[in-house]
Amino acid sequence: MGYYIGLDGGGTFTDCVAMDSDGQIRFAKAPTTTENFSDGMFDALTALAEEWGITLSDLITSTERFSLGTTVGTNLLVERKGARTGLLTTAGHGDAILMMRGSGRITGLDPELYYHPQATDKPEPLVPKNLIREVNERVDCEGEVVVPLNMQEVEDAVRSLVEDQGVEAIAVSFLWSFRRPDHELEAMRIINRIAPNVYVSCSHKVAPRMGEYERTVATVINSYVAQKTAIYFAGAAERLKEAGFNHPLLVMQVTGGILPVKAALEVPLTSLGSGPVGGLMGSAALANQLGHSNVIATDMGGTSFEVGLIVDGEPLVSDENVVSQYRYKQLQLQTTSIACGGGSVAYLAPYSRSIRVGPQSAGANPGPVCYRRGGTEPTVTDADVVLGLISADTFLGGKMPLDRDAAVRAMENLGRQVGLSAEEAAAGILKINNAKAAELIRQQTVIRGYDPRDFMLFAYGGAGPLHAFAYASELGVKGVVIPLGNGASTLSAYGSASSNLVRFFEKEQLFRYPFPLEELNGLINKLEAEAHGALTEMGRAPEDISLERFAQMRYSGQWLHSLLRKLPGGVYGQAEMGQIVDEFKATYDALYGSGAGRVSQGVELFSVRIRATAYLRRPEQAFHIKKESRIDEAARLGHRTIVWPDDIEKVSSEVFDGRYLRFGNRVTGPAVVELPHTSVAVGKGQTLSCDVLGNMVLDL
Amino acid sequence: MEEPEKLVCDGIARGYVPPEVLSISPRLRLYSSSSATEVDPITYEVIRNTLLNINLEHGQTIQKLSISPITMIVRDFQCAILTEVGDVMCLGPYLLYLGNMLALITKWILENRSDEPGIQDGDVFLCNDPYVGTSHQQDTGLTSPVFWEGELFCWVANSVHYSDVGGPVPGSFCLASEDIRQDPPCFPPMKLAEAGKLRVDVEQLFLRQSRLPSTVDMDLHAAIAGLNLARERIIKLIQRYGPEIVKAVIDEVMDAGERAVVEKLQMIPDGRWSERVYTEVSVPGDRGIYVSQINIVKEGEYLYVDNEGTSPQVGAINNTYAGLAGGVLAPLTIMLGYDLAGTSGGLYRRVKFRPVFGTITCADFPAPISTAGVYNMPMVVATATGAVAKMIACADSPLREKAIGMADVHAYGGWIFNGINQHGQFFVGMSAGMATGALPASPVRDGVDTGGLFWVPGMEASNVEENEMAWPVLTLYRRENAAGAAGAGKFRSGLGAEEAWILHGTEQMDVHVYMDESFVKNQGMMGGNPGGRAFFKVKRSTDVNQMLANGSIPQNYDELKGEEEKTFFKGPPIVLKRGDIWCTNLPNFAGFGDPLRRDPELVAKDLADGKLTVHEAQIVYGLVLATDGSVDVDGTSAYRESRYLKRLGTIAKSPLKSSS
Repeated sequence: MGYYIGLDGGGTFTDCVAMDSDGQIRFAKAPTTTENFSDGMFDALTALAEEWGITLSDLITSTERFSLGTTVGTNLLVERKGARTGLLTTAGHGDAILMMRGSGRITGLDPELYYHPQATDKPEPLVPKNLIREVNERVDCEGEVVVPLNMQEVEDAVRSLVEDQGVEAIAVSFLWSFRRPDHELEAMRIINRIAPNVYVSCSHKVAPRMGEYERTVATVINSYVAQKTAIYFAGAAERLKEAGFNHPLLVMQVTGGILPVKAALEVPLTSLGSGPVGGLMGSAALANQLGHSNVIATDMGGTSFEVGLIVDGEPLVSDENVVSQYRYKQLQLQTTSIACGGGSVAYLAPYSRSIRVGPQSAGANPGPVCYRRGGTEPTVTDADVVLGLISADTFLGGKMPLDRDAAVRAMENLGRQVGLSAEEAAAGILKINNAKAAELIRQQTVIRGYDPRDFMLFAYGGAGPLHAFAYASELGVKGVVIPLGNGASTLSAYGSASSNLVRFFEKEQLFRYPFPLEELNGLINKLEAEAHGALTEMGRAPEDISLERFAQMRYSGQWLHSLLRKLPGGVYGQAEMGQIVDEFKATYDALYGSGAGRVSQGVELFSVRIRATAYLRRPEQAFHIKKESRIDEAARLGHRTIVWPDDIEKVSSEVFDGRYLRFGNRVTGPAVVELPHTSVAVGKGQTLSCDVLGNMVLDL
Repeated sequence: MEEPEKLVCDGIARGYVPPEVLSISPRLRLYSSSSATEVDPITYEVIRNTLLNINLEHGQTIQKLSISPITMIVRDFQCAILTEVGDVMCLGPYLLYLGNMLALITKWILENRSDEPGIQDGDVFLCNDPYVGTSHQQDTGLTSPVFWEGELFCWVANSVHYSDVGGPVPGSFCLASEDIRQDPPCFPPMKLAEAGKLRVDVEQLFLRQSRLPSTVDMDLHAAIAGLNLARERIIKLIQRYGPEIVKAVIDEVMDAGERAVVEKLQMIPDGRWSERVYTEVSVPGDRGIYVSQINIVKEGEYLYVDNEGTSPQVGAINNTYAGLAGGVLAPLTIMLGYDLAGTSGGLYRRVKFRPVFGTITCADFPAPISTAGVYNMPMVVATATGAVAKMIACADSPLREKAIGMADVHAYGGWIFNGINQHGQFFVGMSAGMATGALPASPVRDGVDTGGLFWVPGMEASNVEENEMAWPVLTLYRRENAAGAAGAGKFRSGLGAEEAWILHGTEQMDVHVYMDESFVKNQGMMGGNPGGRAFFKVKRSTDVNQMLANGSIPQNYDELKGEEEKTFFKGPPIVLKRGDIWCTNLPNFAGFGDPLRRDPELVAKDLADGKLTVHEAQIVYGLVLATDGSVDVDGTSAYRESRYLKRLGTIAKSPLKSSS
């Protein structure tokens, strides 16, 4: 028997999933051990082996493939625990990363804070001024050398950074290096020669995109997290090898694929924040098996609500990200988040006699009032408890009894100030929270020209399955899937287990319409050859490799807007070029109104992107074949009075233990299905059924 | 000449000032709120949040689809939702002084267009007439009514800076104009769209004036896309919750904002606060000095604002009533309305204007207005900021801490230029590099270095690479200013930035607007130092190309060989040529409090970060260092005391012992 394991090291829990050669799946989790990650990893694997009824050693030695996702890089960055990093940049431009384009004070913050300068500040610098060195070199926008690289200055700068300042890593970011990388490459050679132990990354490699600020930030973060990420992966690989695992460890990437550790470490930045991407890939894999081509993937946790879209079976890709108010260029699956989750705090709005929810969160500490950790402000979770959607006694499988009375008191106190009962206030909090969630989804879909009614909504994360019944109805989506049902909280791990090898090859180069065809065809050929070569080098057979072409297009002058267009294969002539441009214009008008794009304004194609995928063979996930219409008695936990937020009416609602629900079972709302790590609410008139893959499907 | 007093504020002879009750044709049916409608606190919050998001999405649409850097990067635009009678309910985190202008244009339309040609569902009005309600002709407003079952429910509107709207000068800033008929044309409100259909004749009329019709067209359609989106979403909201409820929420949001402001006004003692800013040159060649003054009287729960003391209108440096009101409301939005998330309508109700007309900050027809965007508007905002900040600094805590010193008397150290770029295309550029801004000092903390401009909250500077792609230039350096004496204080200003440039890929370029102030204009607050001087310096026939050929990129303008060109603020156009180098500076802004009271450790930190020299630390801040380079605490106290005594004359006793 062979196993295919996916593991996700999150901030609190390390989750894992294994599928065997017959396509059966099991899940397990254990607390994350921040000091030594592999301890928590092995705790989770031990629990997983128990699920299969085998020894840990048997599990590991029979594992065919092991892929790992993690939030380690993000944590290093947020906690500022990365390497002491120096920056080498073009003379005259060392302040770019400090100036942050003048918007670093507010980037990524709630827009309400924009009007309140005294409540905002720039973040702690990633590289302090004394670790920034400028050298003489200059390339212009056409990629022509204006001033050659002064190698002596590079050497002096590196010696000063390494010997006087003790830096452990260096980022090299020169102006226009993405047009001509020679100077960065030469600087890297010098650094490697005189300081071979110092980690170096170059901006043309990490983020080959126009815009020195965002490119520099990406490169600095890459250098900042590189060594510790490498140690982390090496530690995991080493422990697995000792335990008898004989294959290369694979690492989840934000691009939505997995790569062997060696390839992943070429640009460690792409492993940063791969956890949420794992959830999106898990959704994509399940959606593909279920035949849903359009999916809104929603992850509601304690503090945030994250949304990703899958359109025509493919997760959308974005090229920018923000961490700690730093914006940087990075190709990654698009996810957008707002502060809206179980821990979001409800409070009295000054001056208007109304209630607001968030963006402040009680987090895990002190957490909601009902957690008994000293929290005094009512949260969304407290509202769930007051209404009875969450049972105080069976929360987290009964491991953490909640203080319902305290939650009620906090809610009474808030409600009294606006003339509402505790239950009315609690219902109101959920309505506001759900409206915010629905608003974010609406923005993410409608603004891109998609109608939510054409989508299935996947709900996961600790608070997603409990609230989806409301925010999904708000949007009129086709239905809701609680992916993997009982395994919903391990979806990220499932995502890394079900991903393929993916690498992007991209070049930013401006082509104005009419495009110089020879140059464009030449660039595509070059990138495709590079892509093919890289995957072949990883030992993939040519028949397993697929290459897809994309281009970013815009009207001339639009620096902040572009449409990503999938391009046809083959060599382009006049006819194909005309068609590519016509389709761009038609899409633009469809999105922004007929005539929005002006014919007189030229069209530009400014980046070519190749996605290379090598499909990995894995067993088909086993379907549950036997349909059970009768619900097992063990699943029936009796009835509980729940106040449903829409009509604030007390209704006796049946409660189920989700672990005992089977394919073919149907639960009619109002009901709650409890799972060890979350609960699924089934509203009045809604039904929940279990499908062939173990997902729960909510019909609205 | 007619006596100014006899003129009416009709938006024709003099800037439009709307009456308390508008005169609207009975043909236009308004959807008015019924005071009986009660909204539960939950529905209220859901709708409030949605309305704010609709307005943000309106702004994001403009930002994304426009193609002028001034709009898409610098956020020189605004968008708003207004009530049926044109009061601002909420505005976006963009150029704040444009918010009230959208109200003026909309109210003027209600009074002057509701009968003929009438106001219908699907109309979009275009207006760039400063006497009706724009800051200058380039900031063209679009406003569109939202109807519900035949009744006017509310308005959505935006103002966008269009790169060139005609007139004798590329970019339309006509510095030599002495009459508005030498400016770009003014269009009083006319229908760009009628009953949902774009009027191509009106669109072409507007575009025909421009040197960049294609660019302006793209930006105009970005603005229309924003309006359409906002209008459609509001209709959906009404369909979902019913018009009574949505209307009641709009009214209550404004009332709640007003209550918030009243509560803050109660923390301020009654009194009068004034600020005065001087500016030089009214047209090229003139060497006169002119005054902008703002006076704020706080009495009970209202603010009364006037510009008495301001110079009579002159030359090309004027703005209309719209600019005066907008420029005063901008700093009030930040210092009194910081917790309103842009729902500023309630704040506006508490501010009463008593303008002195015929002045440079409230000019009468036919004074030219086109340069106001770079000269007058930042000056009015700065003058108002000074007066508002003094008032707020006198308030009880915690309001007192919200005071922010003066910033940016002349827009972003900006400069406007045109020519043929390296791709062979004609272009007009407005440099957004200096939009890095700086947050001035406050009563309890330092400002923020290159921390943005607080009265354009979403503003951003372009990347050097973006500039070099669009324009035939090479940036030799772009760096933060040193701290020095400019903006020093107990709390110092954030640092501005400086940039040096050469031509690259072209032989010459014309510069029509550049900021080379003759003297410092950012007064310090409460004993703080003034900020620095915005400058634009040009050196001709330098050895820069030789240096580049020798492998060295010049890093100090002053050290380059060449002939310094004598430039005058608001001087005639300059032609830049190969071999010239020019340098633009956005200065540090106002400091707060006596620099001698600054925590010596904070001085030492700036010293360690290379932002101050040892000499400056001593002269400006009275810092004494021990031989090992650490702060000599006792020595610093003693030295500072001697400095106080010197200021007061040696007879006086040390104030250090008697004051806090």
